[in-house]
Amino acid sequence: MTLSVSGLSAVRSGRTILFPTSLEIEPGARIGLVGASGSGKSTLGHALIDTLRAQGSCVAHVPQSPDEALDPLRRMAFHWREAETALGLPHDADRQQALFRALKIETGDLRKRPWGWSRGMQQRFVIAMALIGAPNLLVMDEPTSALDPIVAARTMVLLEDYLAARDTALVLITHDLGLAAGRVTRLLVMNAGRIIEDRPTSELLAAPRTTQAASLCAHRNWLALPC
Amino acid sequence: MLRLSDVNVKFGKTPVLRDVSMTLPAGQTLAVVGESGAGKSTLIATILGLTKLDKGLITWANVPIKACRPSLVMQEPRAAFNPVLSLRRSILEPLSAKREVISETRLGQLCDRLELPLEMLDRKPREVSIGQAQRAGILRALIAGSPLILFDEPLSALDAVTQKHTAQLIADLQTELGFAALIVTHDLGYAAAFSDDIAVLREGRIEELTPTPAFVQNPQSDYGQELRAAAFALGALEYVA
Amino acid sequence: MTRSLLGLFLRAFVVLTGTALATFTLLWNAPGDPALAIAMARFDAVVPADVIDLVRAEAGLDAGFWAAFRGWVVPLISGNFGNSSVTGRPVWPDLASATSYTVPLALAGLAIGLAISIPLAVLATRHPGSWLDRFAVGIASLGAAIPAYWLGLLLILLFAVKLAWLPAMGATTPSHVILPALTLGLGVAAALTRIIRSGILEARGQPFMPALKRRGISEHALAREHVGPHAAIPVITVFGLELAFLLEGAVMVEVIFGRPGLGSFLVGAIEARDFPKVQGVVILAALLFVGINLVIDVIYRLIDPRMGTQNA
Repeated sequence: MTLSVSGLSAVRSGRTILFPTSLEIEPGARIGLVGASGSGKSTLGHALIDTLRAQGSCVAHVPQSPDEALDPLRRMAFHWREAETALGLPHDADRQQALFRALKIETGDLRKRPWGWSRGMQQRFVIAMALIGAPNLLVMDEPTSALDPIVAARTMVLLEDYLAARDTALVLITHDLGLAAGRVTRLLVMNAGRIIEDRPTSELLAAPRTTQAASLCAHRNWLALPC
Repeated sequence: MLRLSDVNVKFGKTPVLRDVSMTLPAGQTLAVVGESGAGKSTLIATILGLTKLDKGLITWANVPIKACRPSLVMQEPRAAFNPVLSLRRSILEPLSAKREVISETRLGQLCDRLELPLEMLDRKPREVSIGQAQRAGILRALIAGSPLILFDEPLSALDAVTQKHTAQLIADLQTELGFAALIVTHDLGYAAAFSDDIAVLREGRIEELTPTPAFVQNPQSDYGQELRAAAFALGALEYVA
Repeated sequence: MTRSLLGLFLRAFVVLTGTALATFTLLWNAPGDPALAIAMARFDAVVPADVIDLVRAEAGLDAGFWAAFRGWVVPLISGNFGNSSVTGRPVWPDLASATSYTVPLALAGLAIGLAISIPLAVLATRHPGSWLDRFAVGIASLGAAIPAYWLGLLLILLFAVKLAWLPAMGATTPSHVILPALTLGLGVAAALTRIIRSGILEARGQPFMPALKRRGISEHALAREHVGPHAAIPVITVFGLELAFLLEGAVMVEVIFGRPGLGSFLVGAIEARDFPKVQGVVILAALLFVGINLVIDVIYRLIDPRMGTQNA
């Protein structure tokens, strides 16, 4: 089922930070939401989550850093149970094991609190937790920026392998077009609270229409090597 | 030339830097890459003389590093400034400590090169963008006139486009002013694009120290290979047809 | 954990030794001849010089500072608080009976304080900045500014004199504890309300709270499982300090309401220059203080095991 929202907007202290925006998301879509800092991409992400959830869809969210996702006073097992309860699901050890295996965190000690785990493992735990309800949509907000590159790359690969066979759509919010370019098929470019381009990745990379998109494309990598 | 010979640093009984040796010729750029906890920040603190050496020697032009007074550009641009002072006061502080002055013309020139309007210096750190605050941080490091500037993750608080722009500004200023830059970063892409040599730091040890073009083609160590692969996977480096 | 507990006990030991030494030094160096004071308290008349010397020797005052200190501390370790230098009777039974009045009063005051401050703070933080919030903060500030003796007298005027609902003076029936406990409790509530309120607000501002909400966790579960524990940390911290206030307040309230207890025990002992009794009260208070702070530290570590480790 295609997810569809319209008229998303947001005003903060009298200033419009998100102008009315409509969006359709196909099952299994891989969408990149890119833009400079302050362009409104996180705001759109949050509005998307709240609105779709109000419509009855299952939408999960992975914030930038595990510090923004886990309560340091609570054990990992507690977080997991709590997420299950929030979805109205009973505890299912098999589902948990399957997700832990998929994200390679089965060695983690659930009796420990978040800070007893490495940051990379914490972030993968957060992702696993987001996948509990087999969501229609997973919104990830700069999921790699708090991680070291090797761990970040491995995390993204594990997640993509898991999602490959499933209908869960992915919205990847990032300022880094280079990160998104290789993993999404559709790019939304945001500027000043508006989506200014919404096109297939290859098209946009080949011929951006707006200056903002052109700048993102031109600065998407540090170094381009000939094959 | 900056020279670290056999530098060892311990926190209590835990070794944080082990037998670190490297050189950075005047005017060149050395990038030190590695994961968090590898000892990158300790390396900076050690070169600045903020940590006690357990063993080893750090020199600039064959005299102890103290005489060279390296400058530092920090990771969090806004936290690097006193929040209640204007940027100008903070920037000129190292000079007034040495009872030196800088002509307004020279300050204007440097601001120009850093794309900072001169009047922006009268604002407080909170009143400018992160990118501007970081360029003000670079300005502060430049004004001291040190032949060696240390950059501690100078771009990690900035967005992808601003990162590349700021990196280019630093490189241009370096060509013009001739300072040596030691850049500590977790971003191999940045290191690959803007350094002469890359040192890989892991668990306090230098895993390899390779000229950048050679590293980009083929790192010597397995860990260097992993870092390179990750940089490609995250789109920091890219192959184009 | 074992190591940090050991550290806690070591700290407790240092505090107790320091208290003992400081109290003893202060009293030893107090102006006037203690032997004369004791003799006068005991015989209630002009005393000849040789009797004073006798008293001095009997009370161990002629042996020098360290000998006298040892003579007091060594039995103390085995729980012997010594004998009153005035009556000659053991200190402990009187001290214990005084404590049995003060501790229930302090606990009742604390219970009233918590019963008022927690709901008030929770209500206030429901809508920060609302009239209810400002009302709660105002009441709390007012309560903190009102001294216990004045509040105590007002309560006596209202409930004992005007309405004649409750007894004012003494401690003969259980209902006698109500007014003193209320006086104490209102002061405690004033201090705690502000702490709990800011604790809750700070806990709500933790960086992970928005994500928990977005995960679909109910407001109720969020408050109970996440805001509560985080708010408890600063509250417990202040609680350890508040305890000193509570003991001090209890002593003052006892005097206002003419209740027997540590307050009148201490005042009587000081007036009679009964050193062993004064020292007994101070050591007992220090023991209570250290003991409760020890418990608080353990609770701390249960809520947040990072405390006292390198992760903190």
